[in-house]
Amino acid sequence: MDKELIGKVALVTGGTKGIGKAIAERLSEAGAVVVVTARSRPTETQTNHHFIATDLTIASETDKVVSEINEKFGSIDILVNNMGGSTSPSGGLAALTDEHWESDLQLNLQSAVRIDRAILPQMADKKRGVIIHISSVTGTLPVYQSLGGYAVAKAALNNYSKSLSKEFSPKGIRVATVSPGMVKTDTMDAYLQSLAETSGLGVEQVTQNLMDSLGGIPLGRMALPEEIAELVGFLVSPKASYITGVNYIIDGGSNPSL
Amino acid sequence: MENSSKELSGKIALVTGGTKGIGKAIADKLASNGAIVVVTARNPSEEESAHHFIAADLTDSTAIAELTEKIIENYGTLDILINNVGGTSSPAGGFQMLGDEDWNRDIELNLLASIRLDRAMVPKMIEKNSGVVIHISSLNGKIPLYQSNFSYGVMKSALNAYSKTLANEVAKNGVRVNTVSPGMVKTTAMETFLEGYAQTIGKTVAEAGQQIMDGLGGVPMNRLAEPEEIANMVAFLVSDGASYITGANMLVDGGTFPAV
Repeated sequence: MDKELIGKVALVTGGTKGIGKAIAERLSEAGAVVVVTARSRPTETQTNHHFIATDLTIASETDKVVSEINEKFGSIDILVNNMGGSTSPSGGLAALTDEHWESDLQLNLQSAVRIDRAILPQMADKKRGVIIHISSVTGTLPVYQSLGGYAVAKAALNNYSKSLSKEFSPKGIRVATVSPGMVKTDTMDAYLQSLAETSGLGVEQVTQNLMDSLGGIPLGRMALPEEIAELVGFLVSPKASYITGVNYIIDGGSNPSL
Repeated sequence: MENSSKELSGKIALVTGGTKGIGKAIADKLASNGAIVVVTARNPSEEESAHHFIAADLTDSTAIAELTEKIIENYGTLDILINNVGGTSSPAGGFQMLGDEDWNRDIELNLLASIRLDRAMVPKMIEKNSGVVIHISSLNGKIPLYQSNFSYGVMKSALNAYSKTLANEVAKNGVRVNTVSPGMVKTTAMETFLEGYAQTIGKTVAEAGQQIMDGLGGVPMNRLAEPEEIANMVAFLVSDGASYITGANMLVDGGTFPAV
């Protein structure tokens, strides 16, 4: 592994499981000092990741976390906004209350906006930095049965990320979005399990239904978290020096749009 | 910069138009990552290529059959196909300046060359249930430039559609197909193009370059790409690290494309 991130300080939100954990591992393999956040301490802590317990959907937490990282490790060079998800019910868009909409937007859009806003000044000072927003194919390929609010929030995140890149790329900060399709994580497994229970269908059937609702997956399988992490690892490295303002779809071919 | 892990060791790669500019940067990068690289061009370049050079005019379908034969004879297989050949000699000045011959030339070079080469080479990849195809497209395929590059942009857009369609078809056969869309890249071809365009519109080369950048809406990173920056994306896409990426169009454009 090329140690191309030696000397860099990276923050990965939601970095203790699934995609976030794989990203944190990939960045530390490349030599970065990696800080991960999550609401609760994971049972197995990666010994080389620095963990901060925090709920970044709470506005006041943002500045506390950034200050703590700056004090202990210095200014932040790489920010991976990986935290996201949904606690909204299935049953279509009509099943979503105002609270569900608010919660999806807070978790998937507003938290990223706040932490970007808190970190940008230190990146702008150095005229250097990389911000990644982990979005989802649902941001451009909405799935209304169970992820309607989540999909909308991701679409908003995509627009916000592009806008941010226009403003800050001239100042030396690269901003990019990564949109995974279905990824095999514990969260995905739990989600498919709950869909199976709600619908009375088996887990295999609901998995197939979800893959079908995306139009099928040409590669015929879900992604591994490591596969998402590889793309993020590339994007935050010096090899991606001309890449900004993009939304890279990593979905085994499912998004049919040209 | 050498990649110590030689992640492409043992892989056979073909880079069309691989003796200068972006193609050369790609060929060099793949070789430094351990691949055995074959390059094509109509003529050898002045500097001898560091790679196995085969002369071929890919707008000629006999040349494609011969090229395929030579590769199979020499290497038995192909793992990585970089369709980099492309370009235009069509006049600037809008749609009325383009005759059938201009359109046909741009179709041949930017679309049919790739289609024919894929048709010859991809079946070998399907046989092995493994392989990677890259189509080097252009930001112009997503942003029309009627004044300077009317037909080229249209053909690149068609290439994008073709690439995505092929990706969908061969995914089940273990073959990944992706497009890379560079923005403006610092190459001799770009310089030559800007000189010609500058003459057509009666401006300096710098003014011509600025006009094109303005026509694209400006480049947030405020510079052209180095060929190596395009090669880096290609090297990533052909590696195992990109195993879940297919049917994608990866822009490498300094932020130029304006839409979400």
